[in-house]
Amino acid sequence: MTASDIKQVILDIIADIDDEADFSGLDASKPLRDQLDLDSMDFLDIVMELRKRYKLQIPEADYPQLATLNSCVTYLGPKLAAI
Amino acid sequence: MADYRLVIIGGGLSGLAAAIRYARYFPDVLVLEQHIRAGGLNSYYYRQGRLFETGLHAITNFAPPEDKNAPLNRLLRQLKIKREQLALHPQIRSEIRFFDRYTLSFSNDFAELTECIRKEFPQALPGFLRFYQNLPEIDPFTPSPFRSARQFLQSHIDDPVLVDMLLCPLLFYGSSMENDMDLSQFAIMFRAIFLEGLCRPMGTIKDLLDMLLAHYLSLGGAIRYQAKVAKIIHGNQQANGLLLENGETINCDAIISTVGYRETLSLLGHQLPEDEKRIGFVETIFQFPVENAVDFPHDITNIFYNNSSPFKYAAPKNIVDMNSGVLCFPMNFAGNRLAETGNGPQLRITHLANYQLWADMAKDQEAYQREKFRISHQSFIEAEKILGQLPKNPAYEDMFTPVTIARFTSKHAGAVYGSAKKIKDGNIGFKNLYLAGTDQGLLGIVGSMISGVSIINRYILPKL
Repeated sequence: MTASDIKQVILDIIADIDDEADFSGLDASKPLRDQLDLDSMDFLDIVMELRKRYKLQIPEADYPQLATLNSCVTYLGPKLAAI
Repeated sequence: MADYRLVIIGGGLSGLAAAIRYARYFPDVLVLEQHIRAGGLNSYYYRQGRLFETGLHAITNFAPPEDKNAPLNRLLRQLKIKREQLALHPQIRSEIRFFDRYTLSFSNDFAELTECIRKEFPQALPGFLRFYQNLPEIDPFTPSPFRSARQFLQSHIDDPVLVDMLLCPLLFYGSSMENDMDLSQFAIMFRAIFLEGLCRPMGTIKDLLDMLLAHYLSLGGAIRYQAKVAKIIHGNQQANGLLLENGETINCDAIISTVGYRETLSLLGHQLPEDEKRIGFVETIFQFPVENAVDFPHDITNIFYNNSSPFKYAAPKNIVDMNSGVLCFPMNFAGNRLAETGNGPQLRITHLANYQLWADMAKDQEAYQREKFRISHQSFIEAEKILGQLPKNPAYEDMFTPVTIARFTSKHAGAVYGSAKKIKDGNIGFKNLYLAGTDQGLLGIVGSMISGVSIINRYILPKL
């Protein structure tokens, strides 16, 4: 997966959680939670969807690595390279 | 090899919500329900070919679909249920009446309550507004030792009657302890009942349960009925499986128990803590023919009344306490009116009750039935004192007592709100066995479902 594929995967998952999520003006370097009004329960859904879709095991300690779209790319890039 | 990764004891609303939440990601989950149908305290039964609801007076936490952060809408997102699947009818309005003298009216518009307080307790209004302003400072989700909700109210409002009147609906709709409740729980319930408000699903509780069950089964989850758990098999603070009353063994990797703290300790074969006082209720349902619609109020959903000073919310010395109670008119929710449902008017009357006296009475079935009849008749007279003359020909009437609750649910001493002691984080010292539901301290239909979801989110999903 390319960086933009990974970003799209995350946005698809968020759109699935909240079908009214507004991605216009989203800053890839800023926390997703603040920009999209996601709470910690919604956030766990992103982790669980990644696991369901790509069999990715993300330990709890690594959750902060998914805070922004850019950090998602950094963290998930190597894990999703083969997909 | 385990039969299931997760087994949930109890098919009430907390158990079903936990099960759906888990099945969204892993279908390898089993719900064990002791009764022939799901719902736990909020279920239904049939008499004379008609469906009657148990439990449900109203769903709290009403919120419009666009309020994304409201507990109700957050819960639905977590379960992946579309808000449109849940047609909710808001209450019309409810009243708190004390000694035929004070009436506070509240609806899903908080301004109505404030306005009533301005009229009935003008000198206490500034204190009430200060209390309301300070309410957000209580963080109900940070674990903390018991704090008295009554003391918090008294520290702002110096009118004891107003304090009792504000506490009355909250205690009746969710306190497991006498005359008070934990401040965290109070903050949650004040928001759920006064700030957000009451509503009802379209149709009956069966429609809501059927929708949840269909969703759960479509995700691949399993449920078994008449599957009463006899024992949790465990060692070294780890649960390994369950033994059912029919002798069958089910192995699993994790268990969530929604049957209560004491009830779960009992399944573990642990020494039981000394039992504290528990709060029980009787409730009578009076169902009238359609032609009696004109004899009932159409503009009121619930009346919480009290005639004793001070208001006593406690296990009564007598078999019931008629000095206070709740009158509920399930047909009076906006858009769910009588004319559209084709059902006649229904009145439900609830009072505090003494479990032990009912349990002793139930040893003699005939005496128990006679007492139920006597008490429901008295209840009816209490209702007439408030509503005026009512028609005397209910097509059907039925009463549940704390003994009924104890028989059909797991609730020790038939106490619908469970133990006075709450295990707020669901952790009872096991590696893979957690509590959810009533004894986790979140109450009401939305609260209990959030409880189930939160335990899955906290302990089960991150560890898989």
